[in-house]
Amino acid sequence: MKKRKNKNAWYWMFLAVCLVSLVIVVFIPLAIGIWYSFTDWTGINNPTFIGMKNYARLKDDKLFWHSLLFSAKFSAVSVIAVNTVGLTLAMLVTRNIKGKNALRTIFFMPNLIGGLILGFIWQFIFVDIFDSISRFTGIKAFSGWLADPNTGFWGMVILAVWQMGAYVMVIYIAFIESIPEELLEAAEIDGVTPFQRFRHIIFPLIAPAFTINLFITLSNGFKLFDQNLALTNGGPGNMTQMVALNIYQTAFGESMMAYAQIKAVIFLVIVATFSLTQVYINKKREVEL
Amino acid sequence: MKRLMCLIFTLVLAVYLLSGCSGGGKTANTESKNAAQAEKVTVDVFQFKVEFKDAFESAAKKYTESHPNVTINVTTVGGGTDYGAALKAKFNSGEEPAVFNVGGPQDVAIWKDKLADVSDTKAAGQALPGLLTGVTIDGKPYGLPYNIEGYGLIYNKDIFTKAGIKAEDINTFEKLEEAVKTLDANKSKLGIDAVFALPAKETWVTGLHMSNAFFSPEFDGDIMKAFNAKTIDFKYQDAMKKMLDLQNKYSVQPTASLDYAAQVQKLFGTGRVAIIQQGNWVFPDLSKMDADFAQNKIGMLPYPVYGYKEDCYPVGVPMYWAFNKNKDPNTLKAAKDFIDWLYLSDEGKKIVMEQFKFIPAYNGYPSDAVSDPLGKQVLAAASQGKAINWVFMGYPDGWGMNKLGQDIQLYVSGQLEWDKLVDNAKKTWAEARK
Repeated sequence: MKKRKNKNAWYWMFLAVCLVSLVIVVFIPLAIGIWYSFTDWTGINNPTFIGMKNYARLKDDKLFWHSLLFSAKFSAVSVIAVNTVGLTLAMLVTRNIKGKNALRTIFFMPNLIGGLILGFIWQFIFVDIFDSISRFTGIKAFSGWLADPNTGFWGMVILAVWQMGAYVMVIYIAFIESIPEELLEAAEIDGVTPFQRFRHIIFPLIAPAFTINLFITLSNGFKLFDQNLALTNGGPGNMTQMVALNIYQTAFGESMMAYAQIKAVIFLVIVATFSLTQVYINKKREVEL
Repeated sequence: MKRLMCLIFTLVLAVYLLSGCSGGGKTANTESKNAAQAEKVTVDVFQFKVEFKDAFESAAKKYTESHPNVTINVTTVGGGTDYGAALKAKFNSGEEPAVFNVGGPQDVAIWKDKLADVSDTKAAGQALPGLLTGVTIDGKPYGLPYNIEGYGLIYNKDIFTKAGIKAEDINTFEKLEEAVKTLDANKSKLGIDAVFALPAKETWVTGLHMSNAFFSPEFDGDIMKAFNAKTIDFKYQDAMKKMLDLQNKYSVQPTASLDYAAQVQKLFGTGRVAIIQQGNWVFPDLSKMDADFAQNKIGMLPYPVYGYKEDCYPVGVPMYWAFNKNKDPNTLKAAKDFIDWLYLSDEGKKIVMEQFKFIPAYNGYPSDAVSDPLGKQVLAAASQGKAINWVFMGYPDGWGMNKLGQDIQLYVSGQLEWDKLVDNAKKTWAEARK
């Protein structure tokens, strides 16, 4: 009996390290944040309590809902695109081809560049290089990519794929390489086509990788900020403004910290709902070997 | 291979550690030396003017050489990034700077709890008449002007000569339009891509500077009226539409993603466009590219407000130095002394004129203080009564850039009607002032 109690004490002691830091850096700020959302804090003044006024105001904030919808669309498209590219690259570099290690490194490189710099690099590509292409070839489709909300959207997706594709590739590689060799060999002897091999052996066995990667890409898609700031800064006319940038603008551009806080709370609820539902669904279809 | 990697890693680590040690030792040394001389003060400056960052830092260094007990740390955030946002972030991080910038009444209202009264500085007494109005509450000034700036339509003299246009004659909107059409008709002969480069991506160019020319008459050029206005009439919206349409129609396209660097350096600096809407602050940028071009080949046309005053230039104070009253008295005094020294001592005046290339905002400068052609023209405009005042620092916080400027982007890319833009502007202004 005594031994058991001791074990419990140890259990809590080890857990405490994690728990205390989690409470300090996550739960307490969250609670403070929620409290701020009921005040008129501007970031400089002393906040006073104003009740539900901020929430009432949010209802009519078209720009916020637009940015939320834009973020949702962006996440949906980028989740599919990033994972398709990532998985394709992973399949490519796990085959026996020459220089596959070098290729892995090259593919991973964009991920090492910071989001802001990437944004500016792609801004240069979309504005200057695309413009030159359109001038030399006369193809109108290449001109003014960032001056139009639609092409601006696809510009963001291209950037996200370029940056995140390699990151999810690494995770896929890890799972693909952990598939037992004999399994694939046995399948080959049985005469499967490459597609069957992928569909019925690799695909189910890397299900945990999907869980991880969909979670990462989905939440990153929603939270995207620096790339958005550097590439389009919401322009033209705030039409490519994503929700994180909208919150930032409200907080720092227009000095409405408390109001931005509400948006952040709503944003948190939405991202958490989407991400956790996705994890729950994917967890169910994972198979044990 | 592995062993080699290991060796390299160890070496790098060792070098890093050693250099870290020696670096630390050195600072400790100088610190103790300073402490022996006088009480040590550190003044953190958080300022927005990117163009004069290097010159300002060297001025600060010069000051600390003659005042060894003062350390001045300069942080510069500005240009394309939002200074106000960065400043709020800086304050919220707990590292409050001693000296920072406020733009006018809107900023003063926001930062009221932090601002120190500057009436005890010498510079406040020497500021040119009227310049302190925008930062004064109940008779007490809370900021010291940087300098005076003005903008208009900067043009390329060579291109104008080639096209046979006399820039001196352009003093109304109609004459401007005519000149623009002439230039446009001879585009290939003149070797230009387009007449204008309108950087609608830079919402400060459209939402603040352009709109300012048309709101200034609505508020009689009084920034405090703009600041106190609950609503706007947008009385000169037709004039603004004319100006925007002219610049957009004859600009390099697409304008919605055109930025400052492209406008000033890539297009105007290389002679690919003939006219840009900018101010005398672009002189250093152009001078860096081609000193002769900047000094001799450019001039500034007036910025016509159709139906009000057409031969005019918007002239104002871009930013004010403000002091953080929560700092201890020693730091506060050192900070104020530094700004006094910068603008009023002989050494400082020389720096302000020759290195900053400022149009001085204080008494006691020689009349030929300004040497660059754009600055000269702004100064001449101000002395000939051709100036209209800046009021955009009295706009609601973020309104000019995030609301009006963004709508202008939509308008120039054909996705918003002008009437809707005007309605939106009225609505968002009223909302922000509620």
